[in-house]
Amino acid sequence: MAAVNGYQGNTPAETTPAATGSKQPAPPAKTVDSQSVLKRLQSELMGLMMGGDPGISAFPEEDNIFCWKGTITGSNDTVFEGTEYRLSLAFSNDYPFKPPKVKFETCCFHPNVDLYGNICLDILQDKWSSAYDVRTILLSIQSLLGEPNISSPLNNQAAQLWSNQEEYRKMVEKLYKPLNP
Amino acid sequence: MISDSITNASASAAPSARDMGKKKRQTNRAAKLKQSKLGLRREQWLSQVAMINKGDKEETGPNRKTGIEKVVHRDLPVEKLDGQRGEEEAHHHESFIESLSNSPNSILSGINSIPNFCSGSSSGSGGSCSGNITEDEDAADDGCLDDWEAFADALAADEQKKHDKENPPEEQSASLRDSLSGSNVAVRDVKPMSRKQKSNQAWRADDKLRPQGLPNLGKQRSFPVMNLHFSSAAVPSSCPICYEDLDLTDSNFLPCPCGFRLCLFCHKTICDGDGRCPGCRKPYEKNTVKVETSVQNGGLTIRLARSSSMFCRS
Repeated sequence: MAAVNGYQGNTPAETTPAATGSKQPAPPAKTVDSQSVLKRLQSELMGLMMGGDPGISAFPEEDNIFCWKGTITGSNDTVFEGTEYRLSLAFSNDYPFKPPKVKFETCCFHPNVDLYGNICLDILQDKWSSAYDVRTILLSIQSLLGEPNISSPLNNQAAQLWSNQEEYRKMVEKLYKPLNP
Repeated sequence: MISDSITNASASAAPSARDMGKKKRQTNRAAKLKQSKLGLRREQWLSQVAMINKGDKEETGPNRKTGIEKVVHRDLPVEKLDGQRGEEEAHHHESFIESLSNSPNSILSGINSIPNFCSGSSSGSGGSCSGNITEDEDAADDGCLDDWEAFADALAADEQKKHDKENPPEEQSASLRDSLSGSNVAVRDVKPMSRKQKSNQAWRADDKLRPQGLPNLGKQRSFPVMNLHFSSAAVPSSCPICYEDLDLTDSNFLPCPCGFRLCLFCHKTICDGDGRCPGCRKPYEKNTVKVETSVQNGGLTIRLARSSSMFCRS
């Protein structure tokens, strides 16, 4: 964590156009790695802010670009319609070669999300590809909400209830806590 | 138009041949300086050809112009040496100039106009070298007249006034016709014209033009072909993994048949890890890292060889 904080000092400089050039002379390999992660995350943030995908958003937590908070809204015509969920994304220095750790911070009654917010999603584990980014992660989770994988549930109760969409919707509404009460 | 310019060019030619003796001494020292300059430029040009990163497309019009000017400048050193009558040096120079004018040909082969310029220049400069005569004939056969026209246009302005009175135009145009058909004598007649040109303005213009003109040619001739080739595959401008800009080597780098492109550094990192293509998740095939192109210039070959040696370690 100390190292991560140390690199944050570079963050303002990295956003300037000169960032690419100033990156080259950095002698230790580890610094270069962090710099490239920084560049990638900053580019992703820029893309997210410019892209304006409906139903998803993400932003670094305070001044730590390695920890993001994301929100997704439940898609229309699903039992999660009208709900909004907050997630945390924690990036390592290996990102994007290793997936970020993504968790629900808002309680989410879903077959593939456990009580602690852990998500069972293949692309966040063995099916991860460095071609994925924050945007595709959030979109994948958003679509996971409406299309759970019932065969490998983390939340058995939710998995059993999924077949009854009316009851499921009631459960979602009952357990849902709005983000900004 | 054609006959006019031919007359002008030839009109300037013969009289300056008479002046040649006077300028001999002055040009003697300058020739050596320029020889070393040329050597430097040649290196510069070669390295620039090797380093061309992006095939900026330029219109053919400007290029044609630089081609003409380059022809004029290429003539210069040889002209000087002709004035000197220094045989060994002349040969040395000759071969050097030949290499200068030939190397673009080999790289840029397939485009007619530029090789024409080059052969035009060697015919102009190679008066003392018998080996050039056949080349001269070739050039004359396939439309060299256009080059001479442009050549003459460029020279006409400052040459015409001085020499028109001394030389009856009919005689001169006759000699030029001879030169176009490959006569050695006529070539010698034309030669001093460019020497004259040089003493007025050529080298200053050359200092500015030579480094720019040659690499531009390389860019134009070798890279648009490749760009066309790649554009169908929609090469991204930056690496989708690290978001750094893809350089020429990166954008020629196609490590996976699925077509997913990435920079060499990210590929190396992935190969050090699970070694799967981010695009299709299939493992990269070792030792079959392909470079998607038939290599079209020498510089590119070297760069690719270097980069592929990098993969071998992984």
